Amino acid sequence: MAEHYSSFERGGRRWLFQRLTAVFLIGVLAFHFMLLHFVNHAADITFAGTQARMGQWSYFATMWLFLVTATFHGVNGVYNALINQGISGSQKTAVKYVLVVAGLLLVAQGTRVALAMNGLI
Amino acid sequence: MSQSYNRGTVEDFGRWREFSAGMWAWIFHKFTGWVLVGYLFTHIAVLSTSLGGAELYTNTLQGLEALLVVRFLEVGLLAVAVFHILNGIRLLMVDLGVGLEAQDKSFYASLVLTGAIVVASIPTFLGGPLA
Amino acid sequence: MSTQIEQQETETEGEEEETEPAVESPGDQRRATKRQRQAERDIQRETEEASLDDEETVSLKVFRYDPEVEGKQEPRFDDFTVPYHKGMTVLDALIYARDRYDSSLTFRHSCRQAVCGSDALFVNGRQRLGCKTQLSELDDPVRIEPLPHQEVVKDLVVDMEHFYDQMEAVEPYFDADELPADDLEEQRQSRENREKVKMSTRCIWCGACMSSCNIAAGDNEYLGPAAINKAYRFAMDEREGENRKQERLRIIEQEHGVWRCQTQFSCTEVCPKDIPLTEHIQELKREAVKNNLKFW
Repeated sequence: MAEHYSSFERGGRRWLFQRLTAVFLIGVLAFHFMLLHFVNHAADITFAGTQARMGQWSYFATMWLFLVTATFHGVNGVYNALINQGISGSQKTAVKYVLVVAGLLLVAQGTRVALAMNGLI
Repeated sequence: MSQSYNRGTVEDFGRWREFSAGMWAWIFHKFTGWVLVGYLFTHIAVLSTSLGGAELYTNTLQGLEALLVVRFLEVGLLAVAVFHILNGIRLLMVDLGVGLEAQDKSFYASLVLTGAIVVASIPTFLGGPLA
Repeated sequence: MSTQIEQQETETEGEEEETEPAVESPGDQRRATKRQRQAERDIQRETEEASLDDEETVSLKVFRYDPEVEGKQEPRFDDFTVPYHKGMTVLDALIYARDRYDSSLTFRHSCRQAVCGSDALFVNGRQRLGCKTQLSELDDPVRIEPLPHQEVVKDLVVDMEHFYDQMEAVEPYFDADELPADDLEEQRQSRENREKVKMSTRCIWCGACMSSCNIAAGDNEYLGPAAINKAYRFAMDEREGENRKQERLRIIEQEHGVWRCQTQFSCTEVCPKDIPLTEHIQELKREAVKNNLKFW
């Protein structure tokens, strides 16, 4: 079996990033829920309010990082779940590219949305 | 693993009654993960209305919030997120090799805590005028 | 076990008969003896089962399957009622059932003292060693099945080939970078290092952990807890040296190595030798990450 092993697998890197993003997401997701359900009631959200929040660069940056890390964490999590199911070969390659594309599209669209909220678009 | 025949419940999830804490934690974490990643895509889709102008955005969000179903779904989302966070902390501890002997207790604790937080949040989520 | 002693007695009886002056041919004689023994056994079984009424008994539900015999190809459960005595294990009960009731009942066993690792079974919904599991701690009826997620060869015997392949994939033998100049010189280990690998050396290759692992069930390429534990045993052995350790880490940090472990603790819970498998796998993950951070 030893000949199947490549000398440097990225499995470890993805494992580490999954955990690092987890640490960040724990804080930001809790903050996001608090801010938009308890501090500001979800039903009272207006574009003006959103724009005011997104107008602050620190908040904007945090939310954008939130988008990127959450996308990685989620998409990578789905990929891991599928590998755990035992997919391999062309199926695995297909899943990998579909997920990468979906993730990139999500980040792109999310960025456009964020810029619109920030008033730049 | 390849099977020459189907051994039925010996192999599959029909044996859930025999699952241990760690397995439940994994199943719940995975399930909540799927929900959260699904929501992430939906969330961005809904927020994309901001690209269509301030009015569309405000109307869409407030229109959704006016639906009682959405309020209930939000409580569900909160439950899912809180569990994923708490069990996630538990998993990070396990990864660091801290408190491995108490891994079952920490799972039960995250379940109980999730329940408590969700119950305490219900007034905030369901309360407020439906407009 | 009383079973075996009695068996020996019948055998010696048979031998005695054969030494008597023969009028019939030896073949006839053998057949007669066989018939006689069969009749004796039938009576014995009837009387035994009847006498069990006033004895404490255990009921077994045993998984049966034999791909080579028509009529047995459909998996089924057989019931056996076995007299219980204090200290009786699941393996004892199986041996009794095989010796007294159905000699075709097939299962692996050898040392009967949790050392050889042959008799890992799925007993009442959990992977256990038959010889180490007391009947007194199980609910009646005792349901005995072959290990899940492995192909069944016959009855309780599963194909262990894949498990052994995974074990061998981690090169489970001591292989130091430098050998002492004198071949006969001891390669001594520090007490601390011995303590560190102590639990991991206890593995008996029974395969209970692998069978309990949800991920190993889905992902056939996953090394599995036992193999990773073996890798741990040598990777953490300081006598092997840095080069060998790097090679060992490369094996376990491939995609289907340690990263597939989802810390469900199933393996740790079923391990009959109480090896903290999850802990070892987690330590190897951290070790691999630390090791790679140096190169990033």
